Amino acid sequence: MTQLAYYPGCSLHSSSELYDVQCKMVFKNLGIELKEIDDWNCCGATAASKTDEFLAVALPARNLGLATATGLSEIVIPCSSCYSRTLVSQKTLAADPGLKDSINAELSQKIKGDIKVSSILEVLVPRARSGELAAKAVKKLEGLKPACYYGCLLTRFPIDVNVPDDVENPQGMETVLKALGATPVDWGYKTDCCGASASVNDADQSQLLMSRIFTDAVGRGANCLVTTCPLCQFNVDAYQDAVGKKYGIEKRLPVYFITELIGMSMGFDPIEMQVDRHFVDAMGLLKELNLL
Amino acid sequence: MPSPVLKYEPATSTLLAEVTKRSGQNLQACYQCRRCAAGCPVGEETGVTPDRLIRMIVVGDREEALNNLLVWKCVACYTCGTRCPNNIQTARITETLKQMAKKAHARPLTPRIADFHSAFMTSTRHLGRFNEIEALTIYETKTAIKELSQGKVKAVIDEMIGQARLALSMMRKKRLHIGVDRVKARSEVQALFEKAKGR
Repeated sequence: MTQLAYYPGCSLHSSSELYDVQCKMVFKNLGIELKEIDDWNCCGATAASKTDEFLAVALPARNLGLATATGLSEIVIPCSSCYSRTLVSQKTLAADPGLKDSINAELSQKIKGDIKVSSILEVLVPRARSGELAAKAVKKLEGLKPACYYGCLLTRFPIDVNVPDDVENPQGMETVLKALGATPVDWGYKTDCCGASASVNDADQSQLLMSRIFTDAVGRGANCLVTTCPLCQFNVDAYQDAVGKKYGIEKRLPVYFITELIGMSMGFDPIEMQVDRHFVDAMGLLKELNLL
Repeated sequence: MPSPVLKYEPATSTLLAEVTKRSGQNLQACYQCRRCAAGCPVGEETGVTPDRLIRMIVVGDREEALNNLLVWKCVACYTCGTRCPNNIQTARITETLKQMAKKAHARPLTPRIADFHSAFMTSTRHLGRFNEIEALTIYETKTAIKELSQGKVKAVIDEMIGQARLALSMMRKKRLHIGVDRVKARSEVQALFEKAKGR
């Protein structure tokens, strides 16, 4: 059993608990044990970077210290926002030893060494390429035509970061889903912004952005959206009906986490994976395609 | 939306040096190719695109630079910076300007956005983790008081109905988390907040 350090982040412990459950189920079946880091804190997300440069680096830094204390060489962070903020913190500290010392002075578990910070796709894509995911599949995802939605933070960073995928037209999710028999659609809005917290504090703006995403996904013939980001998932799921009504888009698309589609291919029980906790019904399409 | 006429004060203004230092971005490298403008998802609504914002700062128009919608409505999608041939991350410039506005106690152009991020940080400081219910309660209460005092009764009622609907559908879908997750070593997280204040 491979062990990876694991940072779920606040979303996976609240409104997106289903993603936490699914990550653990899928990774376990792939022979990966997720060791949740002890007593982690919020990464500060976009709020910290918009209000305080120091906290934007210091909050994820404490988690990096805790992750280092596990003695493991890699940490996987499924939430795109947490992943981005943690990686940016690590790179910033590497370039600024003074800042690192100043933050370390407050921490019981110091930041040292260079634990590898991975997104969920960095763990899954090599296993799709090696045939490991297909080997674990008991069902093919035939008839599934996902529009893979990456959002902003998996491929775009505020500092120079070596991105392991194409920045404008990433293929990680497509690689995973093709390996499982799905037929992802080609589309133009895969790395566009859903507005993130603007859905709460600047609703008209966020809904306009989402309307463009839905219009293109529907127009390209997708029958669902797939994402790895809990903030994107929540927005394009919870607000889809309101946005559809406002902008005259009739079709509704279920918004899956990539883990629930991998889980379906592995033959997991959808209720155990909490697939029934979507705002736009996510069970109907699976039934229609005989994937249940 | 037409761009405003900028006040040209490069000789007397310290704005460029200040923003360059705080954001870490070389604004003078901008040659106005406007690839950022083409990719900006909010540019149409803000009227100011990243290239314009950079220009405001370079010519030293502090007033315009701190008081335009892009500073507040920027969604930090990093599209402008990813596409910039000179590697200028305008999202870091909007972050810097927001922080400068806060330090100068300037009234934010869009109080809702500023209050949301502040409520997020209050909750994170309190529990060490972001608590959806706590943060949203702080944010909605603050917004309601502010907007009611400005006579925006309908906006407040619409917001309440909208949030109540969302909360209900979250409850139905078991997406509303009632329990309180907190960090045991909260004092350590709070020490970081204290250190930030002193900087």
